[in-house]
Amino acid sequence: MLSVEGLTVRAHAAELVHDVSFRIGPGERVGLIGESGSGKSLTALSLMGLLPEGVTAAGRARLRDRDLVGVPESRLKDLRGRAMSMVFQEPMTALNPLMRVGAQVAEVMTLHGKPRERARARAVELLGRVRLPSPEQVARAYPHQLSGGQRQRVMLAIALANEPELLICDEPTTALDVTVQKQMLDLIAEVAPALLFITHDLAVVASVCERVLVMYGGRVVESGPIREVFTRPRHRYTEGLLAASKLTPRGTRLPTIKGSVPPAGRFPGGCVFRNRCPHADVTCEKVPALTGEGHAHACWHPADRG
Amino acid sequence: MPTHAGTPLIEVSHLTRVYQRPRTSLTKPGGAVHALRGVSLTVHKGERFGIVGESGSGKSTLLRLLCGLDKPTAGSIRFDGQEITGLPERRLRFLRHSLQIVFQDPMSSLDPRMRVRDLVAEPLVALGEPVGGRVAELLDEVGLPASAADRYPHQFSGGQRQRIAIARALAPRPKVLVADEPVSALDVSVRGQILNLMADLVDEHGLTLVFVSHDLSVVRHVCETVAVMNDGEIVETGAVDDIWIEPSHPYTRALLQAVPTLEGLL
Amino acid sequence: MKGRLNASLVSGAVLVGLVVAMALVSFVWTPHDPVLVDAGNKLHGPGDGYLLGADKFGRDTFSQLMVGARTTLYVGIVAVGIAALIGTPLGVIAGMTRWRWLSELVMRANDLVFAFPALLLAVMLGAVYGAGTLTAMIAIGVATVPAFARVARAATMQVMVTDYILAARAAGRRRLPVAFRHVLPNIGSMLIVQASVSFAIAILAEAALSFLGFGTRPPTPSWGRMLQESQELLFSTPRLALWPGLAIALAVLGFNLLGDGLRDYLDPKLRRIRAER
Repeated sequence: MLSVEGLTVRAHAAELVHDVSFRIGPGERVGLIGESGSGKSLTALSLMGLLPEGVTAAGRARLRDRDLVGVPESRLKDLRGRAMSMVFQEPMTALNPLMRVGAQVAEVMTLHGKPRERARARAVELLGRVRLPSPEQVARAYPHQLSGGQRQRVMLAIALANEPELLICDEPTTALDVTVQKQMLDLIAEVAPALLFITHDLAVVASVCERVLVMYGGRVVESGPIREVFTRPRHRYTEGLLAASKLTPRGTRLPTIKGSVPPAGRFPGGCVFRNRCPHADVTCEKVPALTGEGHAHACWHPADRG
Repeated sequence: MPTHAGTPLIEVSHLTRVYQRPRTSLTKPGGAVHALRGVSLTVHKGERFGIVGESGSGKSTLLRLLCGLDKPTAGSIRFDGQEITGLPERRLRFLRHSLQIVFQDPMSSLDPRMRVRDLVAEPLVALGEPVGGRVAELLDEVGLPASAADRYPHQFSGGQRQRIAIARALAPRPKVLVADEPVSALDVSVRGQILNLMADLVDEHGLTLVFVSHDLSVVRHVCETVAVMNDGEIVETGAVDDIWIEPSHPYTRALLQAVPTLEGLL
Repeated sequence: MKGRLNASLVSGAVLVGLVVAMALVSFVWTPHDPVLVDAGNKLHGPGDGYLLGADKFGRDTFSQLMVGARTTLYVGIVAVGIAALIGTPLGVIAGMTRWRWLSELVMRANDLVFAFPALLLAVMLGAVYGAGTLTAMIAIGVATVPAFARVARAATMQVMVTDYILAARAAGRRRLPVAFRHVLPNIGSMLIVQASVSFAIAILAEAALSFLGFGTRPPTPSWGRMLQESQELLFSTPRLALWPGLAIALAVLGFNLLGDGLRDYLDPKLRRIRAER
């Protein structure tokens, strides 16, 4: 349904996302994990046509039969909020503080041609669908009267308003408390038509998605079904990341990846992970291709051979 | 239940902090927010004490009070036997000497317009102590090159910035290190480095650690004792391993269930 | 820490640079003596050694403009200096204090001064102490204090809630070092922007005062007085009004553009957005 091929994002001279390809089928939930500077958010923004000024995308991305990259803004504007929509990390800044919540949900529908009265009624229905208690009351509230978790639900209602084919979530629960996070994740998994879920949190991805793409240094370094990638990682970065996120008993050393994530655009040539990888050698100065059916990896010295 | 043998170093009893909301109406005063409702706890010398809670649980208020940055509405905090609540800054020197804090986000807790040298030396300068070669020594201790001293915080990665913050906290050779969510703003791949570093430094200098986090699994790795906070109160306190295996308070149970763990999911 | 140059900043800097260059050169050289009355060259047309012509007393307009730039900058620097020196500490104190009443007191006093028109203040001061450059500068300076105090207070309050102030306090820093080591360096960029904008306002105010006869006394050349003296000849010799008018407009525009450009250049938020891209 969504197919991305050779997506590349550049800012001035620096290449921030390089040759990213993936597909999402109808009803499929795909996670995109990476740390800061991995290019995960830029990948999502380029699909939405929301890249910041001075940043350009090239390559091919199609949602069913509609091109998303390299098409005029007017075409994308029509798709955004209707065929695909996005939920961001910070719900407070994404909502208009001076407008009632119900009106904001209704607005996205009237914008795409729904009559005002029907939109209002549907807004309340949607607020109920994202499990907000007493949706009529919430519809009349202003954003500041709601808690962080409630606001994020409102954002989800707005994103779902026009029954999009694809939902993109960028760290939707990072700003929320853990107890609220779980409910939100369950809700997203339940209501998303097809999902691209961006996060830095491995456990969060594992609780929502079926398939995962691991990004590092602007490249997809590994992809495949969650269970396989997380139990038998092939790429040394994925392996290190998984080890680093397990908390060993007190008094023991935590496994670490040496060094730190380079700033965007300053990753080494060849394998982007080679300056931090314990297995790197001269072969790694060449770019490894992403190979493998189903469970793919881009590494010259993959883990767990055979 | 005593979980740690040794002398009490920090004794908090019946600590209450009520904030007044600004008034929104001309006739009625603003409402009151009870950030802390009678919190009591004891941290022993050499102990690694964890405080777990979500936003609004009162853990940040508690930390501010512990560091003498705010005054409680009621209750007392004794540090090494000495009452610290209500003391003016000039009489808190002993506390500044003995207790230092590492904040959550090293991006915002380091003044962007100061060089690393001045940031690390600041606690010494504030206490009127000689700086000498201490900055280079401290940077070395946290695994940064001496050349880092002449640069600005924004020239470092998140993990490196947190190392700078740790170096700064260790400058006056404190007895207690307070860490407020020190790894939650960091990338997973550097989180382990910082936690390892902190563990090493705590061992090496025989520090007492007060470690605040929203994540009980991180606290379990770092601390032996934990207090779980919710809505301004400590709902449960004891050995981390006991609480991890058998939480007795419903809130702790909810918290434990809510945290997604890879082990549980795969 | 470097922002990116922008069009406002560059064009503002060029205009301001031009005024400064004119003023500096006038110390060592002007085409003619700017105050020399020369009946023979009365209303001399442009050209012939008189680049922009001469006025009704035969004084060279260009030379007068050059020396006038000096007056303009002098007034601007002193007025903005007074405003910054009084306004900044007031604003920082109001922004840092724990006592609400002190903050309120400072700000209400500010409102009081702000409500009082600068020109009226200058005219009053002039009437009491005698009109002149000094009274004009003091009046403009005092009238600009609230602008500085307000910006300084708002900026200080923003800085005071940051973690690095909390960290400084936790490190044992007392109030005064916090103000000097942390607050001032971090609000500096906003004060520079304010200074630039206030400079433009001060130039306008000085010109207006001189025009009304409450500013710079003759024979010292001043753009405002040049305008005033050209009034009666506005229809016969419009160039006499045109040149000082243009000079004032361009100088004001220059400082405003500079302020605008600096705001973008120095704004850490914008810089961070750029850095993250």
